[in-house]
Amino acid sequence: MSILKRLRKSEALTAWMFLLPGLFLLCIFVFYPIIFSVPLAFTNYSVIDKTKFIGFDNFKRAFKDPDFIVAVINSLKYIIIVPIIQVLSIFMAILINSNVKGIKIFRVTFYIPVVTSMVAVAIIWGWLFSPDGMVNYIFLSLGLIKSKISWLSQSQTALWCTMFVTLWKGLGYYMMIYLAGLQSVPKELEEAATVDGATNFQKIRLITMPLLKPYIFFCSLMSLMAAIRVFDEVFVLTNGGPGNATLTTSLFIYNKGFINFDFGYAAAVGLLVSIIIMILSIIAFIFNKKGGVNPY
Amino acid sequence: MMKITKKTILYMALIIVAIFTTGPFLWILSTSLMPGENVFTFPPKIIPTSISFKNYTDVWAFLNFPMYIGNTLIITSLGVTSNIFFSCLTAYPLAVFKFKGRDFVFAALIATMIIPASAGLIVNYLTIIKLGANNTFLGVVMPSMVTVFNVFLMRQAFMTIPMEMKDAGKIDGAGEFRIWWQIMMPMVRPAVAVIGLFQFMACWNEFLWPIIILNNSDMYPLAAALTFLKGQFSYNFGWLAAGTVISVIPIIAIFIFCQKYFIEGMAGAIKG
Repeated sequence: MSILKRLRKSEALTAWMFLLPGLFLLCIFVFYPIIFSVPLAFTNYSVIDKTKFIGFDNFKRAFKDPDFIVAVINSLKYIIIVPIIQVLSIFMAILINSNVKGIKIFRVTFYIPVVTSMVAVAIIWGWLFSPDGMVNYIFLSLGLIKSKISWLSQSQTALWCTMFVTLWKGLGYYMMIYLAGLQSVPKELEEAATVDGATNFQKIRLITMPLLKPYIFFCSLMSLMAAIRVFDEVFVLTNGGPGNATLTTSLFIYNKGFINFDFGYAAAVGLLVSIIIMILSIIAFIFNKKGGVNPY
Repeated sequence: MMKITKKTILYMALIIVAIFTTGPFLWILSTSLMPGENVFTFPPKIIPTSISFKNYTDVWAFLNFPMYIGNTLIITSLGVTSNIFFSCLTAYPLAVFKFKGRDFVFAALIATMIIPASAGLIVNYLTIIKLGANNTFLGVVMPSMVTVFNVFLMRQAFMTIPMEMKDAGKIDGAGEFRIWWQIMMPMVRPAVAVIGLFQFMACWNEFLWPIIILNNSDMYPLAAALTFLKGQFSYNFGWLAAGTVISVIPIIAIFIFCQKYFIEGMAGAIKG
């Protein structure tokens, strides 16, 4: 064996020694759940019955389950916040990218909702949305509504409120990503445009936006996945209610698994949701290609 | 003249967004300082007529905060240190060694980011029970001891270190593990700070997994205990407000304290 070959071999051995502990943990808690949920989905595994293979019954059941259909529709409705998040967080990033006194303080304040726990956020917004809360007060004094609305306990408004909370808490996160994107725009380009007499709006439209496109794609994809998987907000704020008004797919899976202990069915629904997310991601990729953008 | 109006508009926009993002926090702080009769009024009071700490003393007496804060600290420190250790350990060979199967490991890691593991919660719960780690702090942190996102972040960091550093260590006769721990790790300290902060926030704010894993509510971290308070005292909002303020102050303080690392690290991580 040549020296080089032996060196390679010992290097490979060391590399695997380093990888082993981490990969072991990942195998148990990340890969295993993904793989094991497939066979689980074809069984009636629960705490009650004897486990047996039941074929596609769980999937058939899901398609006939009105609760599941509602959950899927609600999760799809949640996608509405994806474009809104992009517009607002780009706007915030442009604001924060300016070089004025005290900008660091604003940077911190814009990010604070991201670092706090969803439980705390849900308590705060639950109170703001309550009949005697601030939202009603502001809307009443602006004349936007005629009488107090109990926002979270009405099925027409509840989902919009949880969507708003998701938006409010997530903006700062995406703003930071866009800020990184803005800071990678070469200064010379903007200066050249200024020399050529471009207005600020033109600069944003013709220079910043095209260069930001890969970031827009990345953030849209991230927020799309987050929107469909949304759990914490609805769990703490409304727990799916009133009725099924804010039942999302993740909450549905949680209820089936941890309240009904219907693990097989929950796994099947989990797979279906994974398939939905994958299809949407593929559509996003195709859409992105057609737009002529090449991310990185 | 033009410049001044432009600046004014900019500051106005900044202030409006700042009110939007921090207003709710300031308002809950103000509510928590209100005496009971002030809390339930319409139109809602923005500034308390008189400041009182009664809500704090009451809720502190009702809920065993030192215990919950202690639990949170144990879970958080366990979660952060183990995550830093395992994420760095896993990322290092992916950045510096060339070996067979590296691309495969890499692809497998990326796949976990694309495939969403919604049902992962259930399988992980079953696993933890099989391991007998339910109702322990170890069971709470185990699934997040290594996270793919942090592995990628650390890999980027290790890749920026010149290979000569490693070779120098080798010539001096240091073993691979010692090279990693004593030479390479100190050089990626900024990135370690970033993943440490990310993990700190994740652990501090986690409520669902601890509730699932811990049967004994005396072991709950603060965020989980807060859901408890929310369920029982929705009618006594002064208490709830005080409890919420107590739970968010540490994390906001740490964020403000470390914001320089955090914001730069985040930008660096994305640019990679």
